[in-house]
Amino acid sequence: MRRTARRVHHTVVPALVLFWLLVPLSPLVLWAVASRWSGPARLPQDLGLHGWQEALDAGVLTALVRSGLLGLAVALIATPLGALAGRAFGWRLLRRPALPSIVLLAPVVLAPFAVAMGLDVVILRLGVPGEVAVVLVLSVFALPYTTFTMRATYLALDPALEEQARVLGASSRQARRRVTLPAATTGLVTAAGLAFLVGWSDYAVTLLIGGGQIVTAPMLIGSSAGGSGNDSLTSTLAVSASLPPLVALGVFTVAASSRRTASYS
Amino acid sequence: MSALSSRLSSLDVGYPASGGGARLVAPAMLLVVAVTGTALAAVIATSLGLLPLVGRPRLSATGFTSLTGDLRRATQESLVTAVGATLLAAAMGMMIATIALHTGRAGRLLIGVSAAVLTVPHLVGATAAGLLLSDVGLAQRWLGVPVTAWPELVGGRWPWATGFELAWKESAFVALVVVASVGGRYPQLREVAAVLGARQRSQWRRVLLPLAAPALASSSLIAFVYALGSYEVARLLGRAFPEPLPVMAYRLFTDIDVASRPQAAATAVVATGLALVAALGALPLLRRLGAER
Repeated sequence: MRRTARRVHHTVVPALVLFWLLVPLSPLVLWAVASRWSGPARLPQDLGLHGWQEALDAGVLTALVRSGLLGLAVALIATPLGALAGRAFGWRLLRRPALPSIVLLAPVVLAPFAVAMGLDVVILRLGVPGEVAVVLVLSVFALPYTTFTMRATYLALDPALEEQARVLGASSRQARRRVTLPAATTGLVTAAGLAFLVGWSDYAVTLLIGGGQIVTAPMLIGSSAGGSGNDSLTSTLAVSASLPPLVALGVFTVAASSRRTASYS
Repeated sequence: MSALSSRLSSLDVGYPASGGGARLVAPAMLLVVAVTGTALAAVIATSLGLLPLVGRPRLSATGFTSLTGDLRRATQESLVTAVGATLLAAAMGMMIATIALHTGRAGRLLIGVSAAVLTVPHLVGATAAGLLLSDVGLAQRWLGVPVTAWPELVGGRWPWATGFELAWKESAFVALVVVASVGGRYPQLREVAAVLGARQRSQWRRVLLPLAAPALASSSLIAFVYALGSYEVARLLGRAFPEPLPVMAYRLFTDIDVASRPQAAATAVVATGLALVAALGALPLLRRLGAER
């Protein structure tokens, strides 16, 4: 009896949780390789890559590049700003950290569509290009993630290392660049990855401020899912927007674990 | 060598002296204040008729009053979705974290899959949830339920599919935050509890749950405010009327009638106010749990 309960605990429950995490994505994978799948068949009647050809015709590659550039721009702004703020929080360099903490956490509470809606009115009057406004708004929404990731990174780093480098003759800039930053690489990459994802995944801000003119990968998915009725194309677009971050995560995980192994040996 | 060590010991090798930190946080704060301050001021001004697209500015609360019934229904719809999704995300997230912390290889696999789920855009999740739960979706086909007997999970009376998608993705977020926050300390404390005779259930209730509570509460709050402000998931999976606040705001914002702009802004103000009230309401609990650390 006890053995059965233990087996349920160690096998069935983890399997059910894995099921919860993975099953929602299964229709996308099946539809992306289906060329014919009419109900009530449980599996596609014909396999094929029609959806991929249609996605290419719809301009998925350009849209993916545009999403990548948007993610990169957001990461380039939010990561250094978050690293600076994270250093101040993590190494307790602020006499009164409460107000900066609240300000830098505030974007988590604000709805992106509300901020985009307000800014849209202003940028129309000021003539600010939509792309610039989208990058700025998304950088603001990425800042809490980069700041608090870097805060945790700096909390785990001993500031004495930087001081020791300075005692050994390094300038403060050299100490930061050659001692602290290499030690904070994992945190920096994580922060940059999170900021990139904010830009890469965004739909509402790009739609509201861009007004449909900035065609990123989520915009293509949104327009296909919203009314085309072409499930194969929608799934293919969705899979192609999910793969690059997944591959990047895989590479990062392998690199981080091999780095850990190297440092242990 | 001794000269060096005496020089090192004469230095403050703990945290660098306070001050100078203001310069480090200033750029990030400036960006946040400039963008969100401008945007929120503009949204409030638009909702009060002070920033019309055409015509002269005139202070008026019509944006709010002309929508009272719709705003109430949309707020209700948003709250139902956000509360349901958050409760499910917190429960599933805690379950994932518990298993991840209690099992070796399976735990690492769960953490990896959770991180992978986190990289998937919500729009992709919404697309997948639609293809899974609609009346001709994968679940209906695999379970062999007739189309006519399939419940209205997508676009029905209750926001099942919207709540499911938000809970699915946010559960991965909750799990990762909880594991990151307690991962290092839990194994040792659990061992001590086990040595002292605590059974598995007591270890979970008396050790893991209190240890995870701050991370669980703060990540659930983030999931809740995200669900309140999320547009694309409810747009794809929700019913046409009543819509949740973000969907209603976008519909009014893109209406050809420019008079709808103050109404759209009023809807955005209500959504923002709701999220702020939720965050302020949760602060005492978070502080009591020590989540600010």
